[in-house]
Amino acid sequence: MKKKALAILMTSAMAATILAGCGSSSPAPAASEPAAAPAAEEKAEEAPAEEAAEEAEAPAEEAAEAPAAEASGDYEECTIKFDWWGGDSRHEATNKAVEAFMAKYPGINVEVNFGAWTDWETARALEYQSGTGSDLTQIGSNWIPDYDGDGTTFIDLNTVSDVLDLSQFNASDLEKCLDPTGQQAGVPISMTGRIFYWNKTTFDKAGVEIPKTIDDLIAAGKTFQEVLGDEYFPLSLGEYDRALFMSFYIQAKSGEPIIAEDGTLNVTEEQLADGFAFIQSLEDNHVIPTIAALAGDGNVTLNENPKFIDGRYAGVFEWDSAPLKYTSNLAEGQELVVGDELDFGNGKTGVSAKVSMAFAICASSQHPHEAAMLMNYLLNDPEGIAIMASERGVPASKIGFDTLNDAGMIDPLIAAAHNGVYAANPMFFSPKFDNGELKGDGAAYIDTFSGLSYGDYSVEEAASILYDAYTNVCE
Amino acid sequence: MKKSKFLKNNIGFLFILPWLIGFLVFKAYPFASSLFYSFTDYHLFKGMSEFTLQNYIEVFSKPLERKALIVTFKYAFMTVPLKLVAALFIAYILNFKIKGVNFFRTAYYIPSILGGSVAIAVLWRALFKDDGLINGLLAIFGIETVHFLSDPNWALFIICLLRVWQFGSAMVIFLAALKGVSVDLYEAASIDGAGKWRQFFSITVPLITPVIFYNLITQLVQAFQEFNGPFIITAGGPRNATTLMSLLVYNNAFKNYKMGKASAQAWVLFVILMLFTALSFWSQNHWVYYADDDGR
Repeated sequence: MKKKALAILMTSAMAATILAGCGSSSPAPAASEPAAAPAAEEKAEEAPAEEAAEEAEAPAEEAAEAPAAEASGDYEECTIKFDWWGGDSRHEATNKAVEAFMAKYPGINVEVNFGAWTDWETARALEYQSGTGSDLTQIGSNWIPDYDGDGTTFIDLNTVSDVLDLSQFNASDLEKCLDPTGQQAGVPISMTGRIFYWNKTTFDKAGVEIPKTIDDLIAAGKTFQEVLGDEYFPLSLGEYDRALFMSFYIQAKSGEPIIAEDGTLNVTEEQLADGFAFIQSLEDNHVIPTIAALAGDGNVTLNENPKFIDGRYAGVFEWDSAPLKYTSNLAEGQELVVGDELDFGNGKTGVSAKVSMAFAICASSQHPHEAAMLMNYLLNDPEGIAIMASERGVPASKIGFDTLNDAGMIDPLIAAAHNGVYAANPMFFSPKFDNGELKGDGAAYIDTFSGLSYGDYSVEEAASILYDAYTNVCE
Repeated sequence: MKKSKFLKNNIGFLFILPWLIGFLVFKAYPFASSLFYSFTDYHLFKGMSEFTLQNYIEVFSKPLERKALIVTFKYAFMTVPLKLVAALFIAYILNFKIKGVNFFRTAYYIPSILGGSVAIAVLWRALFKDDGLINGLLAIFGIETVHFLSDPNWALFIICLLRVWQFGSAMVIFLAALKGVSVDLYEAASIDGAGKWRQFFSITVPLITPVIFYNLITQLVQAFQEFNGPFIITAGGPRNATTLMSLLVYNNAFKNYKMGKASAQAWVLFVILMLFTALSFWSQNHWVYYADDDGR
């Protein structure tokens, strides 16, 4: 009898262990709990943000007149999940906004899940597929065509327009977040394009002016090598950065986006070969380090690369919404400034812009109404807008932009970068450009640009491989 | 009464039920479904449109897949022998009565506890990057920077080194086996004039062949399944020089969502592993000595 009791006890313990194991996959902390340690300098920004939030109260009253805000008073007590990727400063701001939302709408508890970009998309994609996605989710511009092709992953946000004020967004921006079935799968948080950020400290040390044209940049490469040494480069580009920069080069020459708005391919194999030759010339002229050199740095992202941090890599080609992760990592005494879009010699820059990121509500959500309320709070409620500031770029929402602009709260670096992109009259950026077949690990961009850099491919071979990959994606 | 007897006869099933459910849901079902998917073009987001053998053909015909197979073989054939030799050698030394032997046993075992962790892989990356500690040490002796992580020839070796460094668990098993070899045999051999090396190869090795065989099988399985090292240290690069089959399976399944393709690659890996295991079991008739009745 004793043995039987012991056996039952052991079995129960084993079952409990197994079940505990099932549930031990790092449950998302509640927003009310401290989840991520903010960077010290970001803490220093708290006071102005709070002041601005107070300043924003007046517009909040105006916003309360909007139908969406009126309707949001009616909600269920529930727990909703919200996920996003980003850097520390974005995490800190978003957590604060979530706490403020829960204070404003007692009874709605928000569980948050946030982290860095690396492998974030993979984890979220699997959640969407398995129907376990968060109620409110931050998505990339290509996620709607990639993961919501049949319109069943995200809800049509028109169904929650009683609490989500879609009138704050340009129709053309909203159109970019339609799924293939024509439903409003997402709402753009901000629009973005790539631009150059330069380490002014290093450029000054080299005695080189911040580049305005591609010729300036190429000349800077040689000067950096001669004045500062072999380890110093005016710019650093990984494989995907090279693909984007090459697209700018080709678009500047052709005057049209390499993938048209209707999804057709607008580039020939010869144009790609010319583009690859251009990228190779940057390596040859000591403008950018080789892919081998970047691999030798330890397979880390540029903002975490010691050579960027201490100024040896003095240029970044990055989205206008994302400079803060670089500035926050720079060593003391280094200054990052926004440059102009580079003129390719014919007065054209070839810039293209896209939806930086969007919010969507998973179709599996049991509380889409409350999730939409949170979305509206973050995008259209002056209180939420003021807390979030420009952590996700310059807001696409009209009230979002006006609130931050009036309070002088758009980060000057982000504002300058955003203005720089839009001053260049950007072309259409197709989500197909970011398709996994092109951008994924071991996919076409990495294969062709690293193959070219390592000398495994000629420009013609690289062009042929990438052209085939583009053709497959655009078919 | 009848009910009570039924319960008594079957209560064991109740006890193993939690494990059984876990096995069926998390092992048996994925195992069977992956075999089915491997014959389809199943894409996680686009679904399945046809049954095909293409996935299996591509494993042996596409350059990336073929390279991953070759790299996996290279990795296994480098790490398994090196790890076994290192583990046996250190275990043999630690079997002597030397001062502080317990400290050394612990010290050599620690890497096998830590070695598979993400933190150690990150540390490895920091050690071997171009301006890492190892290159810093080499520079002291006037040796130029070795591109451990960016040179395709070096990168695989660095990944192998991480695995070999984790010889602790194999060492502990060897140590236990060495303890089981009778001291009388060594004494007799010593009286007959056999030196340490002769004793090692003529007494120690033959008597611990069952343990060598066990370690060979487990290390072989682990080597073919290696993932953490190449994933974190080199991300499969440079130029796919460290893309093992396991990494390729992961990339296809969870980066490109090509579940059919990933399943086929996983099954090819499984069959290869089965063949090597079967080969090892067959070969034991010729070199493994079991001290039972028929000596096998």
